[in-house]
Amino acid sequence: MDPADLEQLIDRELRSLPAPRAPRTLLPRVMAAANQAANRPWYSRTWLQWPAGWQVASALVLLGVVAAGGVVLPQLRDAVEAISFVADVRSDVASSAREVETATTAVRVLWRTLLAPVVPWAFGLVTLMCAACAVFGTALNHLVFGRAFR
Amino acid sequence: MADVDRFEAFVRTYQDMVFATAVRLLGNPAEAEDVAQSVFLKAFEQFDSLSTSPAAAGWLKTVARNTCLNHLSRYRSRWRFFSELGPSDADAEPGYEASLEGTDSPARTFELADDRERLEQALRRLPEHQRVPLVLFHFEDASYEEIARTLRISLAKVKTDIHRGREALRKILERKGPAKAGHYGE
Repeated sequence: MDPADLEQLIDRELRSLPAPRAPRTLLPRVMAAANQAANRPWYSRTWLQWPAGWQVASALVLLGVVAAGGVVLPQLRDAVEAISFVADVRSDVASSAREVETATTAVRVLWRTLLAPVVPWAFGLVTLMCAACAVFGTALNHLVFGRAFR
Repeated sequence: MADVDRFEAFVRTYQDMVFATAVRLLGNPAEAEDVAQSVFLKAFEQFDSLSTSPAAAGWLKTVARNTCLNHLSRYRSRWRFFSELGPSDADAEPGYEASLEGTDSPARTFELADDRERLEQALRRLPEHQRVPLVLFHFEDASYEEIARTLRISLAKVKTDIHRGREALRKILERKGPAKAGHYGE
């Protein structure tokens, strides 16, 4: 059968069906449940079903909470900004510390690779030069100035 | 108490419509009764505005439909999974035709019932993945696209499932009296 014909046929047949009737038990069940719901305490119902006084009170409380939020939130934001300032300072300190550490490491490497092998020889050279200067100064004092600076 | 009396009248007026929507979508009278009860309880919560509204019937029908679909959604992933794994040439679930024809099945009851009752029962016994889109299309006037969106399945699957459901129902219709059988023949 052509799908369009089939659709028409089934549509006609289904629409001709009488609506199924609700069982007799449905009405008593619904009414019992409705009575039970009507006897529930107000706070266990939806807000729209609360007594008007409680609706107003709860709306006022909600407004109070919102207003308090309006007061507290800017302070909270300032606190967060202060915390972020401290975090920035800490970040700067950490950055400086890292730079110091890098410089120290570079100096240490330079020392070990270039200076440390030379230092004993330089120290010996400087000592010798100092000794030579001392000898030269003593000789000069004796010969030229006649111990004038004694 | 006046409200209770008015609500009782309200339920009496619309109970058949709500139950019919539910039982056709769910295919199970017991579950349909549960859903109808929950629909009327929702109506009871808004009865002040609903009792005087001319759109009360539409509201009830929409709520009934959505409640049924929510009810089915608990099982939808399961039936969608099996429907997509199922045999491609099946008119319905395996054993569905046999269940209508077998001598030890409700088919015997259907043979004794009138044609419309038989069709109604056949509709209820369709697998959910065929019955739900079929009912939405023919009773709720939903388009294929709306059904696909509502059930969150592909348009092609909606069309396939509806077509298979119709074919299954046509076979039931063909088993009616000789006059009608000739009329429905291909």
